[in-house]
Amino acid sequence: MSKVLQIFSSRRTWAWPYVAFMAMFVVLPLILVGVYAFTDINGDFTIRNFAKFFTHSEAIQTFLYSVMIAVFNTAICLLIGYPAAYIMAQEDFKTPKVMAMLFILPMWINFLLRTVATVELFNMCGLPLGEGALLFGLCYDYLPFMIYPIYNTLQKMDNSLVEAAQDLGANRWQSFWKVIVPLSMPGVYSGIVMVFMPTVSTFAIAELLTHNNIKLFGSLIQDYITTTDLLNYGAVLSLVLLIIIGLTSFFGDHEERE
Amino acid sequence: MRKNRNILDITRLRYIAIPIVLFLSLSCFAQSNVTYELKVGTTGENALLAEFPESYAGEKINIRIQYSEVSIQNSESLDFIFADKPQPLADRFDSIYSYTDEAQVAWTVWQSKKEIKNRNRRVMAQNAYKTFDGYVRMHTAEAQRSRGWIWWLFAGLLLVGTALYGGWIFYERRKEKSLTAVEQETLRRKRMGLRRHYGSQLYLWLLLIILYAPIALIAVFSFTKSKILGNWTGFSMDLYVNLFTGKADAGLNSAIWYTVVIALVAAVVSTILGTLAAIGIYNMRARSRKAVSLLNSVPMINPDIITGISLFLLFVALGMSQGLATVCIAHVVFCTPYVVLSVLPRLSRMNPNTYEAALDLGATPAQALRMVMLPELWPGMLSGFILALTLSVDDFGVTFFTKGSGGLETLSTFIYSDARKGGLTPELRPLFTIILLVMLIALIVINIRNTKQEEK
Repeated sequence: MSKVLQIFSSRRTWAWPYVAFMAMFVVLPLILVGVYAFTDINGDFTIRNFAKFFTHSEAIQTFLYSVMIAVFNTAICLLIGYPAAYIMAQEDFKTPKVMAMLFILPMWINFLLRTVATVELFNMCGLPLGEGALLFGLCYDYLPFMIYPIYNTLQKMDNSLVEAAQDLGANRWQSFWKVIVPLSMPGVYSGIVMVFMPTVSTFAIAELLTHNNIKLFGSLIQDYITTTDLLNYGAVLSLVLLIIIGLTSFFGDHEERE
Repeated sequence: MRKNRNILDITRLRYIAIPIVLFLSLSCFAQSNVTYELKVGTTGENALLAEFPESYAGEKINIRIQYSEVSIQNSESLDFIFADKPQPLADRFDSIYSYTDEAQVAWTVWQSKKEIKNRNRRVMAQNAYKTFDGYVRMHTAEAQRSRGWIWWLFAGLLLVGTALYGGWIFYERRKEKSLTAVEQETLRRKRMGLRRHYGSQLYLWLLLIILYAPIALIAVFSFTKSKILGNWTGFSMDLYVNLFTGKADAGLNSAIWYTVVIALVAAVVSTILGTLAAIGIYNMRARSRKAVSLLNSVPMINPDIITGISLFLLFVALGMSQGLATVCIAHVVFCTPYVVLSVLPRLSRMNPNTYEAALDLGATPAQALRMVMLPELWPGMLSGFILALTLSVDDFGVTFFTKGSGGLETLSTFIYSDARKGGLTPELRPLFTIILLVMLIALIVINIRNTKQEEK
């Protein structure tokens, strides 16, 4: 008994249940994705699934299209979100907290419901549902993820650096590009990662926003994984997505550290 | 000086922005019913059938038939297209429909002589109504949702706004010329500040209006009992009554309960697990702490779909039947890391020796945890708990893959399957209006409290 007590009074062990839980439900499942990708329905080793992917033009096209949409969406979010974050972080801006909360508040409304309402709004205005609607909806859903990290870094930034630059003769434009932008880069990178990753893997929004006319990679994975016979091929597609995600988060980490 | 500066800053702009939003919402009210325009193309009935799911039976919409220059519009119940033997659309327009040769002649005459006989135009047009509806029946029609006048309203507001702004600048410039050089300089400086302020405020409010437009749509249309979102059939609180008396769709009721149960279970379990883990991680040696932190960040980096699919594969491989238990496990997986992250900062803020002191003074680890650590960690745990609740309620991707096919639906998956069927259960609108209001009130309360604390 006293030995058990001793183990638990060393607080290091308190994380063990969590570590065990994570090993079981995070690490093992991720390994399983790899295992399923390299096996066929009977559980035998095969690389045919990968061969299928590289000759499956629909999958590759959808993949490239999704990445393109994600890149576009991230760029739009950055272009719209950076000025908003910059304005909110200004010293003479009176109600930054309220504004920041107002930008986050819509996220408490279920995003699918918001998407349906967006579709309805497009209908009301007589706008067609297509690529434009898709980009609008994605941007609409993920804009707060871009604004918030940028706002955070800009707000924490030491304003005396900007003043120093201006004292040394930089005009507003120069001090913005040479001082503020480089200093806000960590926020920009985490914003990019936070917008790009969910966009590239999104699967329900695209269906609703385009009346099923445009298929993104996420929907493709969903189709295959929910079909019992094609589960292994679905695992290959998930692995491809996982690689993209890994690369993105590595990029984010790397850039942020620098 | 102070007075002037206030003219266009946020406190004043509020008075412009709020009426605009109100006006936009009111314009939704004014836009009565959804209008469908039938054009010559495929048969109107079939086109409408393709447009609406059967759950919309009983709904009233406007149908406008447009042919050449004349159009008729009738408010019609959609039932006629769901009947076993759909009634031809033209029969629905009894009052004006009666095809006669005479009308055909009148139509032709009107068409050829309309330039000359403007005087008789109205009479002729009335006759022509009779004719072109026959066309609709004989020929084919295509249903298309007509462009609501909200669109024109947006454009109009933009135009008026630009004109007013331009006018204001013009007026200021005119005034400026009569001033002395010093006054001009002060004015210029003042206006530079003002204009920047004005432009950036406008930008933020514009973004917010766009961001809130779909939500305003949901909120406004929660006060009408129409099944179609965007179809106004008069003010009514029926949807709220249905929601609270359980008269809503049975699927929705069970979805609400499942969402609440799953969120509570996931939040409680992940708060306990996460707090213990945070204490453990905090006391680890640097290397193992780094490893566990990395493990902790994996579910946060993973997008929904990957977490969902990998867990789905695990449950398939283990042969577990998917249902409530698997969804709860999955939610704990993606909630716990956030709890860990919200408890860790509290730990680094507290004195690490108090726990050991308690042990030395004879407390058991459980007592030391309850009486020494919990009071310190409480705020972090609470924010972790709330975060876990929100994440769980909001989740769609993970739930979708782990809920199995046993008919378990949470709100998210319920909305998804509903939207794919084509219609949205109307009671969702009051539900989310209430959620939005609660969040808004919470935000205001927190904000007031923060400002009070800052003042102190």
